[in-house]
Amino acid sequence: MLLYNLRLAWHSLRRYPMLSALIIAGIALGVGVATPAITTLHVLGQDPIPQRSSVLYYVRMDSWDPVAPHPSASGIPSQITYRDMREIMKSRIPVRQTASFPAALYIYPADRNVRPSRETVRLVFSDFFPMFDVPFRYGSGWDKAADAKPEAVVVISHALNARLFGGHDSVGRTIRIADRELRVVGVLAPWRPRIRFYDLLGNATREPESIFMPFNWIEPMEIHSAGTRDGWKAMEGNPTYLESLHASETVFLQMWVELPDPARARAYHDFLDAYVREQKRFGRFQRPLDNRVTPLLDLMAEWQIVGPYFKAIAAISILFLIVASLNLIGLFLGKFLARAPVVGIRRALGASRSAIFLQHLIECELVGLIGGGLGLLMSAGVLAVMNKGFERITHIEDLFQLDAVMVLAAVLLSLAAGAIAGIYPAWRICSLPPAQHLKNQ
Amino acid sequence: MKMEGVTKIYRTGLVETRALRNFSLEVEEGEFVTITGPSGSGKTTFLNVAGLLDAFDEGKYWLDGLDVSRLTDREMSRIRNEKIGFIFQSFNLIPDLDVFDNVDVPLRYRRLAAKERRERIERAVAQVGLTSRLRHLPSQLSGGQQQRVAIARVLAGDPKLILADEPTGNLDSGMAREIMDLLEEINRAGATLVMVTHNPEYAARAHRRLHIADGRLVDLERITPLPLNRRTGEARQAAAPAG
Repeated sequence: MLLYNLRLAWHSLRRYPMLSALIIAGIALGVGVATPAITTLHVLGQDPIPQRSSVLYYVRMDSWDPVAPHPSASGIPSQITYRDMREIMKSRIPVRQTASFPAALYIYPADRNVRPSRETVRLVFSDFFPMFDVPFRYGSGWDKAADAKPEAVVVISHALNARLFGGHDSVGRTIRIADRELRVVGVLAPWRPRIRFYDLLGNATREPESIFMPFNWIEPMEIHSAGTRDGWKAMEGNPTYLESLHASETVFLQMWVELPDPARARAYHDFLDAYVREQKRFGRFQRPLDNRVTPLLDLMAEWQIVGPYFKAIAAISILFLIVASLNLIGLFLGKFLARAPVVGIRRALGASRSAIFLQHLIECELVGLIGGGLGLLMSAGVLAVMNKGFERITHIEDLFQLDAVMVLAAVLLSLAAGAIAGIYPAWRICSLPPAQHLKNQ
Repeated sequence: MKMEGVTKIYRTGLVETRALRNFSLEVEEGEFVTITGPSGSGKTTFLNVAGLLDAFDEGKYWLDGLDVSRLTDREMSRIRNEKIGFIFQSFNLIPDLDVFDNVDVPLRYRRLAAKERRERIERAVAQVGLTSRLRHLPSQLSGGQQQRVAIARVLAGDPKLILADEPTGNLDSGMAREIMDLLEEINRAGATLVMVTHNPEYAARAHRRLHIADGRLVDLERITPLPLNRRTGEARQAAAPAG
C-alpha cells in the first residue's frame, strides 16, 4: 500500500505542478537554512576525541587572590601555577598526566639560505602524545627519561616536516630552536582536530602547534608562555627568571590527567584537596577550598566552546523551518480540498478515513523529502560559503561538512516539515463525510 | 437490506431539512428495485444512507444482518469495499488514473495480491467490452464507455449489493440501453440492484418500483415476481413499505 500511495502522491504532484513546486520550494528553503545551522552546532559540539574523552580530566585549583574571586564565570583560575604543577605532578593516581603551555620560538633551519621562522611551540610531558592520541607519521614521542633530563628532542608537525625536510622521514635530523640543537624523534601525521581539545582557552578552533618539545626545557631555555597568563600578586624585588617561575602566583599552565574511572577521579580530587590544605598552612590558597577535576566534555560545555550564538542561530533556523511549514498548511489544504470529489469516490469504494489520512500524509512526506533533497543541496552551498569564511580563521579547508548524521538530520527535518504542513490538511480531508465529497463531483 | 423508520436531517444554520422521513424498506437478496421520484425527493439521500456514505439521524438500518449504527468507520468502509458497488450518473472515475487503475481502486483497499487483482480487472473489463481501452484515461473515453468502466469497477469487486444513481442519466438512449442490459445481467447473476432513475421504461424493468416524495416512500408497485431464492429454490416474499 505504501508504493501505491507513493504513486498516487506522484500523480498528485504532476497534476498540480505549480502548487507542488511552491510547497517544495518552501520546504527546501526551510531545510536549506536549518541544516547548515545544525551542522555548525554538530561539528563544534561533537566529542572531539570520543575514544579518550571519558578518561581525560582538566585540573583547576583556586589559588587566586584572597580578597576577590577570579573574574571568570567559574570563579576560579582556568590554569595553574608552575610551583603547584611541580607538586601535583608527583601524584601516582593519574595513569598519565601532562602540563603544557604554548610558546613562540625562532627556528633556524640547517640550510643557512632559508630564513629563520617564528613557530608556535608547545612544551609538554611525554604522556601528552598517548593521552591525546596524537598520530605519528614517523618515529614517536619521547620517554620519561627524556622528560626528566630533559633531552634535546623534538616532535614536529607534518607541515613543518614538509617545509624543513621536504616531507621525508626526518627522525634523527636536528633543528635549531633558539640556541639549542634538538633531534627530531617524531613527525606527526596530518593532524587537524576541529576543536583543539588539549587547549580550550581562547580560540579552540586553532591549529595544533608545529613543534612539541619536552616541558622541562622551560628552565634551561627560560621559555615564556605565549598563551594566556593570569596573575594577582606582584613579585617583590627584582627576581630572576627562575626565582619568579618557582615563587610566582601567575597561572599559565594547562594541566591534564588521565583517570580511568570515577573512583580514581575522586581519589585524585581528594589528593588535590589534601595538597591545598597543606599549602594553606604556608599562607597560600587563602580562598575557600575549590579544586576541580573536570572531564573534557564537561569542560567544553562549561566554557561554552560551542558559543551560545551558534545555539541561538540553530534554534532560530529550526523555528524558521517550523514557520515555513506552518505557512504551507494553507497550500496543502487548498490542494487537498480541490480534489475532495476524488476522495469521495475513494471513500465510496472502500477507503477508510485512516487510509485517506495516510494517503495524503504520504503525499506531504514525499513533498517534504523532495524539498529536503533540494534543501540539502542548498545546505551544501551555504556550508561551502561558510567554510570559505572560516578557513581564514581556522586554516581548515572543510570545517563544516554534511556527514551521514547531518544528512539523516536533514531527512528527519524534511519529514517533520512535511508532517507539520500536512497533518491538518490530511485530517480535514479525511474527516469530511464521503457523501459530501460526492455531491461536489 | 432493511430500514425501519430511518430519518435523515440536513442542518444549515437554523434551517432543518428532512431529506428522509420515517423511511422503512426491506430489499431481498437478488432483487432489482428501482426508485423514482421528483428532484429533491430524497432518492440520492436514500442511496447515500443505504450505501453507508452518509449517517442517518433516527431509525434502524440492517445491512446483511448487521446493525449499521453500531459500525465503526473502518467496518463501514470494509462493507462498502466488499459488499456494495456504486454506479453514479456522472460515472465518478478518477480522472488521472487509466481504466486499469480505476477498476483497481476498490481492490487495492481490499489488499488483494497483485496477481488476483490483475485477473479480476482483466475479467471485469472484458465483460464490459473495453479490453482494448485498458490504458486509456477517462477523458479519452465516451460517456457510455466511462459508465462501462464504472460497471467494470463494480464487477471486479463482486459486491452483493449494487446501488446505482441514475446510471443512464448522462447517456444517449442507445448507450443507456446497453448499460441497462449490463446491469440486468449483473442482477441476474445474483447481485441485488437498487437503482434510482427518472426513466419510466427502465423503472418498469425492475422486480419492484418504489416512488419517493418528500423523503417518504409513498408507493410500491410489484412488477414481476421475485427471483427464486438461489439457495432454497423458493419464491421470496417482498416486504411492504412501512413509511
